[in-house]
Amino acid sequence: MTAYVVRRLWQMIPTIAGVILLIFFLFNWIGGDPAQVLAGKISNPEQIANIRKQLGVDQPVWYQLWVFVQQVFTFDFGRSWSTNEEVSRILLTRVGPTLTIMIPVLIIETCLAVLFAIMVAYVRGTITDRAIMIVCTVAMSISFLVYIIVFQWLFGFILGWFPVQGWSESFWKNLFTYAPLPIMLAVFVGLAPQLRLYRSFFLDEINQDYVRTARAKGVPEKKVMLKHVLRNAMIPILTNIGISLPGVFVGSFLLEVFFSIPGLGREIITAVNRSDFPVIKAVTVYLAVLTMIINLLVDVLYKFVDPRVSFK
Amino acid sequence: MILLTSRALKLSAFLAAVVIGLAPAAYAQQKVLRFAFRTAETGFDPQRIDDRYSVGVCENLFEGLLTYDYLARPVKLVPLVAESIPTPEEGGTRYTFRIRPGIYFAQDAAFKGQKRELTARDMEYALKRFRDYRNRSPYEWLFENKIVGLDEWAKKSRDSGKVDYDAKVAGMEVRDRYTISFKLKEPDFNFLYVLAMPNVVPVAREVIEAYGQDTMGHPVGTGPFVLKEWVRRSKIVLERNPDHRGYELETRYADTTDEWDRRAMESLRGKRLPLLDRVEIYPIEDEQPRFLAFLNKEHDIMDETPFAFIHQVVMPSGKLMPALAKQGIQVFRELQPELTYFPFNTNLTAEGRPNPVGGYTPDRIALRRALALAYDIDGEIDIVRKGQAIPAQTPVAPGVVGYDPGFHSTANNHDPAKAKALLDMFGYVDRDGDGLRDLPDGAPLTVRLKYDAGSAEKRQLAELYVKSLADVGVRMEAQGVQFADLLKDKKVSNYMMATSAWIADYPDAQNFLQLLYGPNTGQSNEAEFKLPEYDRLYEKSQAIPDSPERNAIYREMDRLMLAYAPWRLGVHRVFNHLQYPWVKGYKKHPILYTNFKYLDIDVAAQRAGTRQ
Repeated sequence: MTAYVVRRLWQMIPTIAGVILLIFFLFNWIGGDPAQVLAGKISNPEQIANIRKQLGVDQPVWYQLWVFVQQVFTFDFGRSWSTNEEVSRILLTRVGPTLTIMIPVLIIETCLAVLFAIMVAYVRGTITDRAIMIVCTVAMSISFLVYIIVFQWLFGFILGWFPVQGWSESFWKNLFTYAPLPIMLAVFVGLAPQLRLYRSFFLDEINQDYVRTARAKGVPEKKVMLKHVLRNAMIPILTNIGISLPGVFVGSFLLEVFFSIPGLGREIITAVNRSDFPVIKAVTVYLAVLTMIINLLVDVLYKFVDPRVSFK
Repeated sequence: MILLTSRALKLSAFLAAVVIGLAPAAYAQQKVLRFAFRTAETGFDPQRIDDRYSVGVCENLFEGLLTYDYLARPVKLVPLVAESIPTPEEGGTRYTFRIRPGIYFAQDAAFKGQKRELTARDMEYALKRFRDYRNRSPYEWLFENKIVGLDEWAKKSRDSGKVDYDAKVAGMEVRDRYTISFKLKEPDFNFLYVLAMPNVVPVAREVIEAYGQDTMGHPVGTGPFVLKEWVRRSKIVLERNPDHRGYELETRYADTTDEWDRRAMESLRGKRLPLLDRVEIYPIEDEQPRFLAFLNKEHDIMDETPFAFIHQVVMPSGKLMPALAKQGIQVFRELQPELTYFPFNTNLTAEGRPNPVGGYTPDRIALRRALALAYDIDGEIDIVRKGQAIPAQTPVAPGVVGYDPGFHSTANNHDPAKAKALLDMFGYVDRDGDGLRDLPDGAPLTVRLKYDAGSAEKRQLAELYVKSLADVGVRMEAQGVQFADLLKDKKVSNYMMATSAWIADYPDAQNFLQLLYGPNTGQSNEAEFKLPEYDRLYEKSQAIPDSPERNAIYREMDRLMLAYAPWRLGVHRVFNHLQYPWVKGYKKHPILYTNFKYLDIDVAAQRAGTRQ
């Protein structure tokens, strides 16, 4: 296993190199000139040149790329070009609110989706199954934005069950006062596609020979579903969770904007709008590294879920 | 011993309960104003910011030499930390201020426990900071080519890489502890307006040096409030500066027939300001949560009601909807000192090819005027602005000195028939039978419009312009580009037509008319409009103080602009500001954004109202 992990870690280096190159050239070619945004309403070429010099964007491309590489390996991305705040501080202070929303969303959504999917798969082909699938399809066809607008208006304003928006310094107040509505919303929106997907994983397993054999041997249906089917369906489910995990650390831009959550998603969009390259660079690299590490962890987890998997 | 411990525990528990119980009670007794910004702030170092939200916060933390009277309309300058408004000397090139002794900065660790008095050196230091190249001040232009010796000081700093704040600048003469005299290169009768801007304020050098790169988060001024808490882009909390000397409402310029003035005077007269204990500001970028948070009474004021919800707030007559009026909500309708417009690139080439809308020959001017007449400005006001705007008649916005509400022109009306006639007259007709007009030489006529792709409003305007021109047979291609690219393209003349807007930095027509001054090409003159007659009038107006003579010059410049059509004028937007009845003393100021020092809260009414 150690050799496998080391090999995978080595493989990360070319991936990070690719990410660095992609981000660097995308920003330089289509990212817009940050000096123009920072220069204010009236500026002359001399001032623009001064700003470009201070930001280092007047340097040759290879030198800027080298600085970027150094930043990646020292984890020091300097300061935000628009607010002068340290990028590391931005990441540290924004990731908390994002996780306060996204971790409960991931846990609740996964538990509910697995539970409902196994139930629906169990009654496959019935009216209940078809009705649930139709509801899921309709729910998936509606834009996330519409859900946000309706939920916020209905539960926040008309019913008054939750605050319309807001965030505080207290983790518990956030979790129990401000986060429930966005969490409920995200779970509601995410549940339909997950349920459909997981149902298909369960159906694949239900039709396998080992299930038929178990039934033929008289194993109770509950045990067949929970012990055999669920365990075997966990591999694609884990893969799916692994794919969605990096998103947990970035958050949902729409949720964060609509509910005034000072999270990373909102920060990224602001950084893009303001051509704030240090923040964009840091978030992208952080996300890429996170994705690779999570993928590695998921691959290692396969071994424990399914003994047939071997590290080669 | 055990008994003693038990008693101690009980006593501690009792004290804790009292403290916990008292803390919310104390908060409940406080006068707290809750308010939302439409856009996130950037920081509170006054010389490093230009967005109105950050500046709006600084307005309460710092004090400049001058400010504006709260109630006077049109706006009127009044002294703030200066003893009086100086009379221009030496033909409008010298202004001498005496700062009132006994004004102190808010307490800060940088002062090492000492009270720190405001002096003339702090003002000198602040103005130099605008020109310190390391600060990248977005308002550097205010002090460019302005004060004698300052350009040289800035150049020397930039060239040597060493900024010497102790070096003398001939045009900033600190005569004694409280007196500073500015010598300008040219007469400038608007210089006092510049000194009344909320970020042209003195700062303490030791604070700036103590916080180094983090000055955005450590504002220390002499203002009525201090920054208590700042969660960037999420929450800004100001608290009353306990050491502030206090103000009284000046009612000398109030209009007693104006209900807002009357109400403000009733609420504030004779009281020591500021009255608020705490102000909580929440940046909320999206419109729905901002609107609902106000309706939910989570906020006390809603500044600039989003256009999307305007029909739920005001009737077409401008009156508040009965459901809101029943709750005692008040609406302040404000025609802001701002302007939207579409500049034409007046150069003969644009985007690397011949530019049919550029030039000063009759056929080119006629084309620009026809394109202006073809634009459906009424559609923009009805559809895009939901009726909350008026068409601009001149390049000058309402609420500023030199604006003439009686000036009307037909040059920017929506008149497709006139546009067609003008195009026909100058040979812009369909020559190849494709249904679209061509240039007089037979080449196809295509007008290209660049707009900020990140703005839904700008996209709507671009679509409206494309449709308007199609109605008169002119092909227009609208191209959405990144905001930064649009700024750059407009500065380097890489566009044919574009979307633009300008909001007054200070309340004088000159702030708008400079946008067409020839030498400002490459900076604020996006149209690259170069008309010697206009430039001559502009220069002449600069040397004259506010007077009927100067206003007549401004009118003449307006007429030249309308005749040569370097812009298609847009609109002046109307904003609706809402307040609950427990907010006292409210009156929106056209230049100052927040004015928390003049507001009060009826705590009992607020508590009763938010419980409902």
